[in-house]
Amino acid sequence: MKESQAIILSGKPAAPGIGIGKAWILEEESKTVRPVKIRDDEVQENLEKFKRAKEVTEKEYKKIKSITDEYDALEIIEAQIQALNDPEVSKTVTKKISDEKYAVDYAIFSTYNDYIQLLESSDVTWANERTIDIVSIRDELIQATRSGKKGLTVQKGDVVFAVNIPPTVMVKLSRIKIAGIVMEKGGLTSHAVILSQSLGIPCVINTKWNKYNLQNGKQAIIDGSTGQVILGPSWKQTQEYIKRKEDEASRFLKALEWADKPNKTLCGSEFTLRANVEFLEELPRLKTHGAKGIGLLRTETILFEVENFDIKDQINFYSQVLQNADGESVTIRLFDAGGDKLLENSDTEANPFLGWRGIRMLLDEKDLLRKQLEAIYTVSGNFKEQVKILIPMVTNFEEVHEVKTLAGIVKKSLNSRNISFDDNLKMGIMVEVPSVALMAGHIARHVDFFSIGTNDLTQYTLAVDRGNQKTSGLFDSFHPAIWKLIKMTKDAADRQGIPVSVCGEMASKPEAAACLLGMGINDLSMNAGSLPIVKSVLCSHKLDMMKKLAEQVLQTEDLKTIHALLEEWRAV
Amino acid sequence: MVSQRVIVKNEAGLHARPASALVKVASRFESDFFIKMYGYKVNGKSILGVMTLAAESGAEMELILDGPDEEKALDELVKLFDNKFHINSE
Repeated sequence: MKESQAIILSGKPAAPGIGIGKAWILEEESKTVRPVKIRDDEVQENLEKFKRAKEVTEKEYKKIKSITDEYDALEIIEAQIQALNDPEVSKTVTKKISDEKYAVDYAIFSTYNDYIQLLESSDVTWANERTIDIVSIRDELIQATRSGKKGLTVQKGDVVFAVNIPPTVMVKLSRIKIAGIVMEKGGLTSHAVILSQSLGIPCVINTKWNKYNLQNGKQAIIDGSTGQVILGPSWKQTQEYIKRKEDEASRFLKALEWADKPNKTLCGSEFTLRANVEFLEELPRLKTHGAKGIGLLRTETILFEVENFDIKDQINFYSQVLQNADGESVTIRLFDAGGDKLLENSDTEANPFLGWRGIRMLLDEKDLLRKQLEAIYTVSGNFKEQVKILIPMVTNFEEVHEVKTLAGIVKKSLNSRNISFDDNLKMGIMVEVPSVALMAGHIARHVDFFSIGTNDLTQYTLAVDRGNQKTSGLFDSFHPAIWKLIKMTKDAADRQGIPVSVCGEMASKPEAAACLLGMGINDLSMNAGSLPIVKSVLCSHKLDMMKKLAEQVLQTEDLKTIHALLEEWRAV
Repeated sequence: MVSQRVIVKNEAGLHARPASALVKVASRFESDFFIKMYGYKVNGKSILGVMTLAAESGAEMELILDGPDEEKALDELVKLFDNKFHINSE
């Protein structure tokens, strides 16, 4: 029998587990346009795409039109819409599709290009200047023809291959029970990876799968624990991995047995483990994995997913989460968009992580913030003393005051409408920027609690872009500077008498969790998938040993030694 | 079919704004509308076509209308040229 040989690739393990399924390639949104020819039976589809693209783009322009009343701007937009619906352009594009059998994007591209060239070669200055606008129309139309096919054709059980997965796409993918994710790029703490960990989807990054002529539907195996990816495995290999997958499942079931045990160290010292949650789909795992409530509820997803979402959608979402929290607390983090989690309509920034994100964006978009606060306070009325608010990306206490002022207005409005709410709702901040850790003593007077976000704290302290694969090797949350900042934050909070928790991915590593507990931080929140293992390690050791570990780590000046110290605590 | 010769009176020529105004008016009529200039003939309802003429101030062109409302359309379009497309400052 002639079977092509299996191709074995090795990448970086990002989320554990074994996935076996058919390959499905996530096409990248690209700006390159090639003169692709279509078949006769594809003509109609391409013509319709052109029509739809014009409608979509015109709608976009009309949206802009409705938010400006400047006469000049209106005229320009009017001219853009004329260029979009230009009868000569439509005629030519239609001809190129129907007669010359070009794909819609190339038909649009080449038609507008003829005009652009004419205008560019003109001796008249204004004509040259207009080309920019025509280019943008051309590109917007092309983009619109492509976004139409965004509907993912991926099937349950497929292994997704991608160069990179934008957060908005990841959200859609996570709804389908895919077998695994293989990415060419991506850092260990990129949004896509964190979500895979949380949902238990095996994930391998830094894999050059693109070099092989991979086709949709080819059989693939991914091992998220070792980083191995096999394309077109043999029957034997497949059987071997099926066996391994079963073994892994039974091992995890064993760790799950810890879930029901009390949260106490071997010497009886108590701690609390909570879950980080983003989707309603994750909620059933709270109970089975032994989470005491939710230490971090990410809310960006509803912002990304629901167009024109209103307060009702939010109230519905938060209520469902709280109903599943079993009477435990739920810490709701205000929309943390920006950074690598972009709103679709925001501008591209040169340094998004140093830019308009978290509370900075919210304070500029007060209406958005007010609605979210109103939704949270409204829900708190039914779940008194269970709801907490967490403010992301705070860099100074003035930002906290602005949120509090707005919360005051919201409360007044609820009062006047006789809507009950929790008047003592606690409001805390993320400690994820070094300035806040350094000033923790002062800021602690203005907030009810601290929650340390170790991923961002690491990237901002070490000046490493966590999503950049060239520097992601430098990204290490175990760096002595990070431990020092965590300790400073804890000490400052103790002096002020406010609680501290850690909700970063650091807490999901049992060795780091042990060290944090040793530092006195006994409230940890992590992706639900990690809870059983972390719990099993904390329950089977004495607090004294963890204290000793913390002491040693805090006195160590080099990363290697820290890793060596922590290594012994890694779960077997 | 009716036609008439007109002259671009705007100082800056038939640039984007007047072109847009011209197309806007022309599109209200059912009749086909062509502009002839230096041997070129473009569809007067196509803003890109009109712009590629890059007609400067003083340029002469022929407006050609063909259809049920050709007379009225020609009348309004000629007026538009005479009124410099209602653009005061340039």
